[in-house]
Amino acid sequence: MRENDVIVIGGGLSGLVAAAVAAQSGKKVLLLTLGAGTLTIGGGIVDVLGYGDEGVSLATPRAGLLEVGPEHPYKKIGPVAIEESIQFFKGICAAEGYPYLGSLDEMQWIPTAAGTLKPTCLVPKTMDTTQLNTAKNVVVLGFESLKDFYPHLITKNFKNIPGFQDKNYEMVMIDPGLADGRDVTALDVARWLDTPEGLQDCTEKMRHVLTPGSVVIIPPVLGTRPNYAIADSLAQALQCTFVETAAVPPSITGLRLRTMLLSYVKKLGVRIVEQAAVARSIVENGKCTAVVTAGIDRERTYYAKAFVLANGGFYGGGLVAEPGQVIEPIFNLPVVAPEDHGLWANPDLFSNKPQPFAQIGIAVDEKMRPLDGDGQVVLTNVFIAGRNLQGYDFCFEKSGNGVALASGYQAAMSMDREIK
Amino acid sequence: MQKATVVIIGGGATGVGILRDLCMRGVDAILLEQQDLAYGTSSRYHGLLHSGGRYAVKDAEAGRECIEENTILRKIGKHCVEETEGFFARTHLDDEAFEPIWLAACAKVGIPAIPITVAEARRLEPNLSSKIQSVYRVPDAAIDGFRMVWQNVASARKYGGRVMTYTTVIGIEHSNNQVVGMKIRNTLTGEISNLACDFIVSAAGSWAGEIAALAGITVNVQPDRGTLIAFNHRITSRIINRLRPASDGDIFVPHGSITILGTTSASVKNPEDNIPNAKEVVALLDIGEALFEDLRSYRMLRAFAGTRPLYSADPNAKGRGASRGFVTLDHAHDGLTGFISVVGGKFTTYRLMGEKVTDLVCQYLNVKTACRTAIEPLVEDASPELMTKARRYFPSYGADLAASRLGAAGLEKVVERMQEQPEKRQLVCECENVTLAEVEEAADDQTSFMISDVRRKTRMGMGTCQGAFCTFRSVGAVDANGLSWGQDTKTLFQEFLQGRYKGIRPILWGNVMREMELSRGIYEGTLNINGAINNARK
Repeated sequence: MRENDVIVIGGGLSGLVAAAVAAQSGKKVLLLTLGAGTLTIGGGIVDVLGYGDEGVSLATPRAGLLEVGPEHPYKKIGPVAIEESIQFFKGICAAEGYPYLGSLDEMQWIPTAAGTLKPTCLVPKTMDTTQLNTAKNVVVLGFESLKDFYPHLITKNFKNIPGFQDKNYEMVMIDPGLADGRDVTALDVARWLDTPEGLQDCTEKMRHVLTPGSVVIIPPVLGTRPNYAIADSLAQALQCTFVETAAVPPSITGLRLRTMLLSYVKKLGVRIVEQAAVARSIVENGKCTAVVTAGIDRERTYYAKAFVLANGGFYGGGLVAEPGQVIEPIFNLPVVAPEDHGLWANPDLFSNKPQPFAQIGIAVDEKMRPLDGDGQVVLTNVFIAGRNLQGYDFCFEKSGNGVALASGYQAAMSMDREIK
Repeated sequence: MQKATVVIIGGGATGVGILRDLCMRGVDAILLEQQDLAYGTSSRYHGLLHSGGRYAVKDAEAGRECIEENTILRKIGKHCVEETEGFFARTHLDDEAFEPIWLAACAKVGIPAIPITVAEARRLEPNLSSKIQSVYRVPDAAIDGFRMVWQNVASARKYGGRVMTYTTVIGIEHSNNQVVGMKIRNTLTGEISNLACDFIVSAAGSWAGEIAALAGITVNVQPDRGTLIAFNHRITSRIINRLRPASDGDIFVPHGSITILGTTSASVKNPEDNIPNAKEVVALLDIGEALFEDLRSYRMLRAFAGTRPLYSADPNAKGRGASRGFVTLDHAHDGLTGFISVVGGKFTTYRLMGEKVTDLVCQYLNVKTACRTAIEPLVEDASPELMTKARRYFPSYGADLAASRLGAAGLEKVVERMQEQPEKRQLVCECENVTLAEVEEAADDQTSFMISDVRRKTRMGMGTCQGAFCTFRSVGAVDANGLSWGQDTKTLFQEFLQGRYKGIRPILWGNVMREMELSRGIYEGTLNINGAINNARK
């Protein structure tokens, strides 16, 4: 039996970051994943904090960090560790040849496929809006048969956004020739651009419709690999600036980030077991000694000194909701949820208040260890990261990947101190 | 000023049934609906085409009407009816003594109730509880309320019928005790106008009391709220009724790939009291487990509620105690000629109600043409040639679904769109197999003003994902085609997603919660629709 130092449960952003931190400090790390995490759903940009209470937009992500409520993960983690986590992340991106832009002191407002702007913090170079913000002429480029991108949504709505009203907008379409009777997603277009033939074909087709010097808003299709080769090649050949939008799943920017992080942790020696459905844990004297996976063949037991629980919230399966109560199925940790189901959801889907059900999760201390109702640590060697934490509505405040990153970092750092 | 001989108030099954009947008899008629067609009770029920078995014991006349209309609607509305048959199943919790009483009542009104063994019933419907005691087969069927209403309108339009949606009546005008017209308001624009007419028929269902009050007349309609659950499975292939005196949560109706469980019953003051709550849902699940033991393991899609328009001359009769028969009230007896209310009744007998009311109106108008609504199909079948053509453009089995939804005339238009622009065959709604061409056709209709109106015509957004993916596409498509009804796109997003949320909120647990997190992740997290709305609010 091989003893691991650390087992990380969950292969999304928080799990991958925790695995990277632990492995970098020399731990033997095993990563158990069930699915692909939500990076390929939600996207590869790192929102840290865009809106404060009642939906008021913040000047910078840092401005909001000190204002969050007492149960918010950022409050537990603290500004120092948050800043460190961002530097850690940017360091990985730079080392892997896929550098990200941004900092806590600058709010990036990026275009979305719905023709809105969205506040975020760290973005890949392909979502840099510096040129877009000052451009006089903007082209929105769509692809024939790509059904999840409608250029008119952007040109129409941008005309009403302060700072974007006086620009000239033009819509152009190119035909990637991918239809052959089936529906086309951004992933199909990105894979087309991944091939040298596709890239050349696309470059020529774009050449017919783009004037050199244009700023071009496009769906996130600039290749599936975590590098800027395709973006740079198009930019150089056409002398245009391309800006990818935030868009509906499948998320190509998230796919790139996931590929990059997987490659990074593998290089650090992290072992990964896929399709590992963790069913339960073995606990002795307030410590977890092992987790048990239930696959299609048999149960397997994985031992470690410490564990990071980063298997997501309701969507990921880390939390399971029943009428009036919420269960954390692996450790049966206490989950903070309103008893009256009538209080779980606001009357309106969209309002100027966060959704109570979105804030349901596990209470933790500063080290990200789970707490019971009396504020006592339940398990001393289990650390929580990501959406299963209580106290924040990532959709409302725009903090999803930011909390994942900071809590994954903090969980692994405090674990490192615990098991030394 | 607009004019019509007859104005019908209410765009539910009864109203469109009257419109169709009047128009087929050559009477100039217009129908007004305060929301969208089938917005009210006609779509907020379980979609059961009653055999009459449920009413046989307590209300023999309603039972007899049901079995007769059941037979007729299978013929004229075959694209709206799924001939599933039904079971009446007695569980271990139900009184044995009721069984012979029920059987005798069915025999008396001519409803065939054929006993089968419990073993055979469970072979046919394996999910049925092992504790079932006895089972009878009855000729129940499933019926699509939205489609029935739409196909009635399609038929009425052929005969010159007109429909105005999002129009509410704010005053009834009369001269010498004779109706001469009404004042109406467009609920979307607020515009007020006059509509001249000789006759008003109120088929406003739960709202009939409010309409009558405009003319100073009292009509005792007691709205009775019923909550239902839609499951994302075909739990049963047959309708399952519980064999006991009519009560809560004892009917399961399969529709395509889903099943509806209903209902509750509670008197309410406001006919628009249609927001379900978790308590009702949990209560329905508790009761429903007597018929399907594994009920809680099935995924729910949404909960919804509507109000039954119960009528009683006796204002004290409530809930299931009130009759489900229907009554035609000629307000000439109240001193106002040219005003009729039709109240009570149920979806299964909508056509008959229409026939009776139209007979009465025609008497006044001296129109002698006979009623043909029982013999002429609502829509024509698509020809084999059209179907062959349609299959060239529609993805997979979508052609048959669309032919049923649209009828021959509608299908032809949609196929034309696809022929001209093959990319329009793309699926906007993957759950319900709705193509871009169909969405555009529905969005183009004069009664469409928002994405939900397109949904009711096409079923888009009614499947498993409840709008998580198709909302973006439908907003993008109607906007790209200049069909956005003068509304900004964040309002279109908000209206449609809020409509879906209303039915999800009371069942927010299990996989529904997961879907909710996905949907919010897309529209709020990624696309920041909420941020744009809050920004506009400031």
